[in-house]
Amino acid sequence: MSNAILFEVGGFAVDSVMTTSVAITAVLSVVAIAGTRNLKERKPGRLQSALEYAVGSLRDFYASIIGKEKATYFLPILGTLFMFIIVSNYSGLLPLAGELPGFQPPTGTLSCTVGLALITFLTTQFGGFKYHGVHYLGHFVKPVAPLLPLMLLEEVTHPLSLSLRLFGNIYGEETVLHQVSGLIPLGAPIVIMVLSLLFGAIQALVFTMLSAIYIDTATSAGH
Amino acid sequence: METSAVIALAAALAIAVSTIFPALSQGKVGAAAMESIARQPEAAGDIRTAMILAMALLEALTIYGLLIAFMIVGNI
Repeated sequence: MSNAILFEVGGFAVDSVMTTSVAITAVLSVVAIAGTRNLKERKPGRLQSALEYAVGSLRDFYASIIGKEKATYFLPILGTLFMFIIVSNYSGLLPLAGELPGFQPPTGTLSCTVGLALITFLTTQFGGFKYHGVHYLGHFVKPVAPLLPLMLLEEVTHPLSLSLRLFGNIYGEETVLHQVSGLIPLGAPIVIMVLSLLFGAIQALVFTMLSAIYIDTATSAGH
Repeated sequence: METSAVIALAAALAIAVSTIFPALSQGKVGAAAMESIARQPEAAGDIRTAMILAMALLEALTIYGLLIAFMIVGNI
């Protein structure tokens, strides 16, 4: 579990987490661009069909939580978060993850998950202002004005718990996998890896599901 | 006892205690969800979503304990 600084670019230190997250972003972008380069309405290619299925099922999933209209509007950000988180979680299962310099799953670091949670936080506020205008600020002093500190605290706790949950789960998984691999290198890590496959997907799902719910709370009427 | 032993015990207690109660509650959530699915299988999808959500919220408490344990261990 080394996270040493690899090199510096113009005064910015670059570590394994950054290189891995850039690599994940690049892979996702290449797949997305390759799948949508020449879209066909009839007889779509394999990659296009797979991507269409992924996007469609993600949209249906969010629509079941926050409604079709909002799900379609916020799908780009929620879907991107989901894809990045799940690929990054699964990258920890590849051989030599965490051992090789320059290869460390980003979601197992607090700085990355805080960044992701801040994206959700900003999206929530943006959604609130977009749907309610200046009146959005009014919901902080409802039902009574003395609750203002509590409401602000709640608003700050959301990204905090989001980031800590993702970080704690993935970091814990990485640590357990690392320890078990050191203890019994043959066979035993596979059991942990199978569990990690399940938990990685659930964590990505939970992160975006909670994001969707926070966005829905900020944008829905009745505040 | 040495100071480092006390710190190690504190870290172990932090994660142990913060695991017990969320685990019990998660069991309750799971049991209730399965009961509801058995009673109303057509609502299984909605119940599953709500269950995962409730479990995630409970799990956050354990993760806080884990974080505190790491912070305590860092002081050894």
